[in-house]
Amino acid sequence: MARVKFLCDADRCIDCNACVTACKNANEVPWGINRRRVVTINDGKPGERSVSMACMHCTDAPCAAVCPVDCFFTTADAVVLHSKDLCIGCGYCFYACPFGAPQYPKLGNFGSRGKMDKCTYCSGGPEGADGSAAEFAKYGANRMAEGKLPLCAEMCSTKALLAGDGEIIAQIYRERVLKRGYGSGAWGWQTAYKETVNV
Amino acid sequence: MLIKRRDSAVQSSRLQSTTLHSALGELSSGVLDRRAFLRRAGFTAGAVGLAGLPLGSVKRAEAAAIDPAIPVKRVKSVCTHCSVGCSVIAEVQNGVWVRQEAAFESPINRGSHCAKGASVRELVKGSRRLRSPMKLVNGEWQKLTWDTALEEISAKLLKIREQSGPESVFWLGSAKFSNEGAYLYRKMAAFWGTNTADHQARICHSTTVAGVANTWGYGAMTNSYNDIRNAKTMVIMGGNPAEAHPVSLQHILSGKELNRANLVVIDPRFTRTAAHATDYIRIRPGSDIPTIYGMLWHIFENKWEDTQFIAQRVYGMDDVRKEVAKWTPEEVERVTGVPGEQLKRVAYMMTHEKPATLIWCMGATQKTVGTANVRAYCILLLATGNVGAPGTGANIFRGHCNVQGATDAGLDVTSLPFYYGLAESAWRHWARVWEVDYDYLLSRFDSKKMMETSGIPTTRWFDGVLADQKSIDQRNPLKAMMVFGHGGNTVTRMPEMVKGLEALDLLVVADPHPTTFAVVSERKDNTYLLPICTQFETSGSRTASNRSIQWADQVVEPIWESKNDQEVMFRLAEKLGFAEKMFKNIKIEGKVPVIEDITREINRGAWSTGYPGQSPERLKAHMANQERFDIVTLKARGGEVDGETYGLPWPCWGTPEMKHPGSHILYNTNLHVKDGGGTFRARFGLERNGQTLLAEGSYSKGSEIQDGYPEITYAMLKKLGWEGELSEAEMAVITRVGGGKPDAVSWAIDLSGGLQRVAMDHGLVPYGNAKARANAFNLPDPVPVHREPIYTARPELVAKYPTRPDERQFRQANIGFTVQKRAVDLNIAQKFPIVLTSGRLVEYEGGGEETRSNPWLAELQQDMFVEINPNDAKARGIQNGQMVWVTGAESNSKARVKAYVTERVGPGVAFMPFHFAGWFQGEDQRSRYPKGADPYVLGESVNVLTTYGYDPVTQMQETKCTLCQIATVLA
Amino acid sequence: MFKAALIALLLAAAIPTAHAQAPSRQEAPASGFNPTATEVKEQDLLNALSKVEGRISIPDTRAATLIQPAGQTWRDYRRGPLLWITAAIVLGMMALLTLFYLIRGRIRIEGGRGTRTVLRFGAFERFMHWVTAASWCVLAVSGLNIVAGSRVLLPLIGQDAFSTVSGWLKYSHNFLAFPFTSGVVLMLLVWVRHNIPNRMDLEWFRQGGGLFGHRHPHSRKFNGGQKAVFWIVVLGGGALAATGFTLMFPFYITDVTGMQLAQIAHGGVSLLMIGAMLGHIYIGSVGMEGALDAMNSGQVDRKWAAAHHDLWLAEVDAKSTPSGHPAE
Repeated sequence: MARVKFLCDADRCIDCNACVTACKNANEVPWGINRRRVVTINDGKPGERSVSMACMHCTDAPCAAVCPVDCFFTTADAVVLHSKDLCIGCGYCFYACPFGAPQYPKLGNFGSRGKMDKCTYCSGGPEGADGSAAEFAKYGANRMAEGKLPLCAEMCSTKALLAGDGEIIAQIYRERVLKRGYGSGAWGWQTAYKETVNV
Repeated sequence: MLIKRRDSAVQSSRLQSTTLHSALGELSSGVLDRRAFLRRAGFTAGAVGLAGLPLGSVKRAEAAAIDPAIPVKRVKSVCTHCSVGCSVIAEVQNGVWVRQEAAFESPINRGSHCAKGASVRELVKGSRRLRSPMKLVNGEWQKLTWDTALEEISAKLLKIREQSGPESVFWLGSAKFSNEGAYLYRKMAAFWGTNTADHQARICHSTTVAGVANTWGYGAMTNSYNDIRNAKTMVIMGGNPAEAHPVSLQHILSGKELNRANLVVIDPRFTRTAAHATDYIRIRPGSDIPTIYGMLWHIFENKWEDTQFIAQRVYGMDDVRKEVAKWTPEEVERVTGVPGEQLKRVAYMMTHEKPATLIWCMGATQKTVGTANVRAYCILLLATGNVGAPGTGANIFRGHCNVQGATDAGLDVTSLPFYYGLAESAWRHWARVWEVDYDYLLSRFDSKKMMETSGIPTTRWFDGVLADQKSIDQRNPLKAMMVFGHGGNTVTRMPEMVKGLEALDLLVVADPHPTTFAVVSERKDNTYLLPICTQFETSGSRTASNRSIQWADQVVEPIWESKNDQEVMFRLAEKLGFAEKMFKNIKIEGKVPVIEDITREINRGAWSTGYPGQSPERLKAHMANQERFDIVTLKARGGEVDGETYGLPWPCWGTPEMKHPGSHILYNTNLHVKDGGGTFRARFGLERNGQTLLAEGSYSKGSEIQDGYPEITYAMLKKLGWEGELSEAEMAVITRVGGGKPDAVSWAIDLSGGLQRVAMDHGLVPYGNAKARANAFNLPDPVPVHREPIYTARPELVAKYPTRPDERQFRQANIGFTVQKRAVDLNIAQKFPIVLTSGRLVEYEGGGEETRSNPWLAELQQDMFVEINPNDAKARGIQNGQMVWVTGAESNSKARVKAYVTERVGPGVAFMPFHFAGWFQGEDQRSRYPKGADPYVLGESVNVLTTYGYDPVTQMQETKCTLCQIATVLA
Repeated sequence: MFKAALIALLLAAAIPTAHAQAPSRQEAPASGFNPTATEVKEQDLLNALSKVEGRISIPDTRAATLIQPAGQTWRDYRRGPLLWITAAIVLGMMALLTLFYLIRGRIRIEGGRGTRTVLRFGAFERFMHWVTAASWCVLAVSGLNIVAGSRVLLPLIGQDAFSTVSGWLKYSHNFLAFPFTSGVVLMLLVWVRHNIPNRMDLEWFRQGGGLFGHRHPHSRKFNGGQKAVFWIVVLGGGALAATGFTLMFPFYITDVTGMQLAQIAHGGVSLLMIGAMLGHIYIGSVGMEGALDAMNSGQVDRKWAAAHHDLWLAEVDAKSTPSGHPAE
């Protein structure tokens, strides 16, 4: 069975933010919610590398484990989804998430948060019909149901961001590193999946 | 349970194949096909309403349910941002663009986009677009109808024409036009009676076009983005494609990885591109020529040059040697700051790890020595034999999506369409194409002299407004400005520009957005805004940087009350009284010109640049067969486009029926001219001072003349005994064109294409076979020499390397020398010790009005900033993120921006992006925009601070090296 | 305003917020080097700082943290130790009190209730106490629900109902934080002078508060045990307020690491307080005859007062008698 993953090749990522706006475009993500982002390490210095990051759809996802209302679900493709019907906006998943994926619309009083929003691996939401208008409004696109990958990876300018079956993208990355002779590794994989891509 | 049931077996098999397609294609160079997936896809996702959210608030855009029963239309267009030319797939339902998909079949972008391309769908949601025609009445914006607006505008134009003459109107066009739009705009200026019609190329690559064309014939990228994959050494000097042309990095990084190629970045800034280099070299801003000569010094010293290439295909290299000899490693290091060893390393790579390509952008061109810079770059390529073959070449990354096409189409104050120039012969050629009397065109101008004199360029228009009658070489100063698709914050010396705006009798801005022009001045009346749609709301062809021409289909109808460029031009021409003549061969439907008719008119006239073969039908066939084109060679396999090069990159010789495949790589002698081969162009005569200017022993494959030869004329065919191969019909046209004297008819003005056909049948390139010129004797500096920037941080170098003397250029004085001398005398560098340079951000483009109005992009860059080195920041007590005043060396200019403390810039250098506007010297001008049409993000424009300085050949402005001071904002 | 107050509170709770900058690479030359070869490795950064941080252009500074594996540690704490500690404290304390009750039974007023009463707490004191107590009870229950509700309540009432209930409990937790905090502050102001520890309290504790045997140690208005409760409430409540408001205004003053620590501290202090308060509730209600009256009507039996707060009773009587002589 396929286990989907994201892999960002930091030696290819140029911080062009295509993944970010592709995500906004595909899912109509509002201002202030950033399901995906690009972080640049050592900005402006030797060793500068950029990494595109969103929900990594972890194995044994910390968000799911700490959710007080158990609103997380893992699909057959190992995509971690959550139910906005159940979410109470407590914010715990953000503290637990190693990747800063959960986002909350600022609502009403004090710092209280609306229902959590995060990358769905373009898989819509856990309830309702695939590809329905209701699903789109609540969770965004459901490309996976159509056999397509997340738009962020499809539109990546340098093919740095890979999506798909974890073993296949690991293989692609491995071949790249062998061919070119360098590679700073699959960022976040050790944390998310307890494994790295060995070359 | 709430979890959805998924068919895991089906899902996983789909995933595997999708993954393989989207990512494995990377490793091979195969063509991708994701059509199967697209075909299988059922589209039921929602469309989206308008999101007019204020900054900082969060509101879900309303999703309108779409009836799954309504079919989805898949439309292919081309990204409207940079010149890479990424295909865009739009999925349209009920006339609404509901989804954007990755265009995997495009050989240029293979599904990829940058932040801008991945967000273009928002442009036709148009949350901050201008919705209707507006005019300023006593400082307030008022709505009016299209007809009233055009009626009032044309009445005012005609009045100005009557009182001041046609030369008093400045027609500023756009690189955002389609080829057809650009061509039409230039044609409109001709029918109006002025050559003062310009566009962004002036401030972009005008110096490249001048420098490159004067070296080897054509002013364009010699190879392609895709071909860079073949290079073993890539040198990027004065460019930051990771931010300016992100999708090009797909090809660059693939080349770097697959060939283990060298990627050298030479730049004052450690850019995002430099972060991926294998060698980064930091130079002092404005020291490009010494850097190039520093490399050439090692090349000549070690005899690494390509002697055979130089002997056969280069004129005047010895003159270069004399200049280069002055640039010892010590002097180079003194001027550029780069140790000799580093440049020697690059020189070695360029000569030993070949093929090598040189990539440049605004860092080379936007200088007072822009043309000379570009010439030096070309000379380096010539000396190392890196032109005219795969993996080599001058890979000039153009800026806007159609800046190459708009330049070709002649939106240029120095030429009629397609580089024919302004001489009488050129006017007569276009009069024949347009089927109007030459005398009619002449009657539209003030005089024959004005008809053949270059106009006032966009960098100097406000000087042309503020000039008095005596200081300008035309009847009257400029009185009116028509702006189609051009930002107002793109030219230097903005405080002066604002004065120019205020002095205009009429200002018309036709654009999807109000632009900076609409808000930056204190104008109260006689100012009109016309809402123009984007290229997604019309169709037409656009030329990417690599000369590939792509046809874009209309995605949706123009939104709000906007209209497309060609319709507005037609309506305006109608009111101005020359529509009938101007649109003689162009069918009008309603009020909209048929776009394909304009393309065909271009085909009929654009022989000189090789645009006659790209008929609308052929271009559309390429778009429909994209998946057939190879990602490296751009050559198609199979189908109706078999053997052709993607987008029929010009030159595509002869009539469409001749089926020339287009030229992937210019000047490539390894191919037959009929397969896209070529030679350096014979354009500057046959010999000079006894030395031949024609090639010696070098010729394109299959040439029956195995040596250099001049351009093809009927007389030459006769001499070669080939004139009998012309058909009767062709001969008739040649005779008509020649007016009874067919001998003088050349390949460029023969409307039948017969001369080109017969030449190619014999393997000859229509434009001849000459040497490239290391010495371009018609330029101010025939061999490039280093000249310090007007405002230099190293005034002690000015005595040895002064700028050129003052001179009259383009109808006005260029007093660069005086300004430089004054700056040195007044010791400006002491008061303004930091070198200010400017450039791009990936999220925004050009003046930024459109991209800053796109919330998906605007969210990512919300503040104008200045990059400052930690040392300089520390010395001034500046913290990262703090507001600072940046002050400029002229006009007491100042800008209030955020400090971004970073080692990206070296000590003594500051960088500012050029996309911001809407703040002016500390004042927030948001309230001046028409309601609802203000961009989400506003900020100070760097060009408030930039200063005097113009290239002598093109009047390119200086945006890369001026001086500034930075201080904290005292609360 | 709020932010400043929160910072003060947070500093009081001493939650580390400072984080080091990513280590910059060894000084590389400014020009003429190979950027491809100067790559950084994720593991090196994690080893140095325990998280990976960089620069981001959006205003959300949290997003600049790329990877923080500490989230997993926090997860492990939440689904392991926290549950056991909670169960141990809540159930353990209840068991302990039950056991105590079985052994010691209800502590009676010696010789039974008398007929005369004395005013121990005025209306304002009682109001203050009950506002704090009531909000605390809801806070405790809703807090416990966050920790363990999905294990306890969810299986009973189902996912949708549980989510609805938890949503409301979350709101009540947020809103009741304000009366609770106000109550604690008021108690501090009103009662602090009665709660300065002194030597008498040591004696009180040495004698086990008189719980065993029949001699009562001397005591003024508050005995040693009550003083302990006071300080637990004031200090614990203060810590809960500080950490709680930090959690309520997420990321205003600290980063994700600070939030995790704030949450851990909030939970830990809450549990200790829950344990202590269970004891307080026990002794103030079923555990001791006459004690509840003090917070109920405010009037306590003089005999009870004489037994538990002899010195206080003397002070009250002295005040109410202008002559300065004892009334009896």
